[in-house]
Amino acid sequence: MDRSGGTRKRSVVLVALLGAGLITVAVALNISFIVVNWRTGLLVLAGVLSSVVLVGGLALNTTFLIREIRKSEQHDAFIHAVTHELKTPLASIKLHLQTLQQRELSDVKQLEVIETMLDDSGRLQRMIDQILLAGKTGAARRVDNPADVDLSEVVDECVVLAGKRHHLQEDELRLVEAVPHGIFVVQGDRDEIMAAITNLVDNAIKYSGETVRVAVEVVRTGARRVAIMVRDQGIGITGHELTRVFRRFYRLPAALESRVRGTGLGLSIVHAVARRHGGRAYAESRGALRGSTFTLELPLKPL
Amino acid sequence: MSRVLIVEDEEHLAAGLKFNLEAEGFSAEVEENGKVALDRLTTEAAAFDVVLLDVMLPGLDGYEVVRRLRQAGQYVPVMLLTARSHTDDVVRGFEAGADDYLPKPFDLSILLARVDGLLRRRTWLRGGTAGPEPELDEFLFAGKQIDFRAQMLRWDGMEQQLTLMEATLLGYLVRHEGQTVSRKALLEEVWGVRQDTDTRTVDNFIARLRRYIEAEASNPRHLLTVRGVGYRFLAEPDPTVVESA
Repeated sequence: MDRSGGTRKRSVVLVALLGAGLITVAVALNISFIVVNWRTGLLVLAGVLSSVVLVGGLALNTTFLIREIRKSEQHDAFIHAVTHELKTPLASIKLHLQTLQQRELSDVKQLEVIETMLDDSGRLQRMIDQILLAGKTGAARRVDNPADVDLSEVVDECVVLAGKRHHLQEDELRLVEAVPHGIFVVQGDRDEIMAAITNLVDNAIKYSGETVRVAVEVVRTGARRVAIMVRDQGIGITGHELTRVFRRFYRLPAALESRVRGTGLGLSIVHAVARRHGGRAYAESRGALRGSTFTLELPLKPL
Repeated sequence: MSRVLIVEDEEHLAAGLKFNLEAEGFSAEVEENGKVALDRLTTEAAAFDVVLLDVMLPGLDGYEVVRRLRQAGQYVPVMLLTARSHTDDVVRGFEAGADDYLPKPFDLSILLARVDGLLRRRTWLRGGTAGPEPELDEFLFAGKQIDFRAQMLRWDGMEQQLTLMEATLLGYLVRHEGQTVSRKALLEEVWGVRQDTDTRTVDNFIARLRRYIEAEASNPRHLLTVRGVGYRFLAEPDPTVVESA
């Protein structure tokens, strides 16, 4: 019995040992399996993370690169446009001066040549003013010495001057309703406001195509706010372009396509002038070829 | 009269150029759109002697206009006029097929001198005359004297007054002595006509000249017909043919 008992005991011990050993191996295997798997998991996780970081970085990098390329393209286009806008009137003035110098001209022809040169020098001056204004309004957030500006008077003047400059008839560029002077008074810089409105009117004419139908309106938009709205029947603007057009140097693809001249400064000036006067500028359009309305909204002078 | 096409959408520049070119005796026309200009230049073959071409144009830019023009086999001299004066822009212009390049603003006298230069080269290429056409005062052949100044033909003490066109035609033939000249070339160079004008005008004049200079107008020795092409003037006729006085 002893023997057998001893044998049984031994065998029990053996089985127990074997069981324990097996369990230990299983646990060890399990643990090592877990350990190994955990490691793989960690590796996989690390791999996934690092590739996410890589891909993300690459995407980010590409985005920035594309943005930089676009910017530099816009700058190039801007430099080209400015070069063209400055050199063309200068070339005309030089050509006409040399014509006066080298040829016998009739009195009528002489006057015509002088008119042409005055026109060109006006264009030159407007371009230079525009560039200087873009620099000035882009730099500071506030107008230096605000003064009272009679908005309806400024709008009247802008419309008359633009009509003359573009040789337009009354049905091509019109003021919807004449507002008596002195009603809408805002505080700010008269030249800046005038430049902003002129930019809106010039743009409306420029992007009208063959038939110009531009209407300018001054309306009260709130208790203390007034808006100048410039409406055209031109090329129109699609959804996401509505805000982009106010960015400096940005030009509509449609405008580039149809080779409409421009520097991409005009609307950025309007935007900056609006901001400097505590107002805002925005565009609305029913889509491509369906015209647009540009609004410059300014706060009225507090009573 | 040489014809210049000004392709320029800047109204003032175009008008100033046209005025000055016309004052120099050119006939000048203006096109504002690149596409329209290209269409005109490719369809009205040889209608213009020089093209002044702006680069920034509506429709089609200047580089593209000249490139397509060359592609279409039109080799009218083209001068690019542009505000762009970077090396790259200039090279691009020449690579597109332009013959000359003048940056704006330009000097009027330089522009006119360059237009003259282009015209001169065109004349050399066409007529083979070196340098400005030599002023021809007189020409002697077969006992006959052509006095270009007096527009007179003299032989054996006889005289025949020539009209201006007869003298000009004879002058052109004499300058191209020995060469075959086409009726079309005669129309263009002597009459200054570019369209498909009736070439019988030329034939009529040739017939008249033959009556003056040939012993037998029906059997010409000096003013030969080159069938299907045009004419050839020979001062010394083929020695195998015995000249009858």
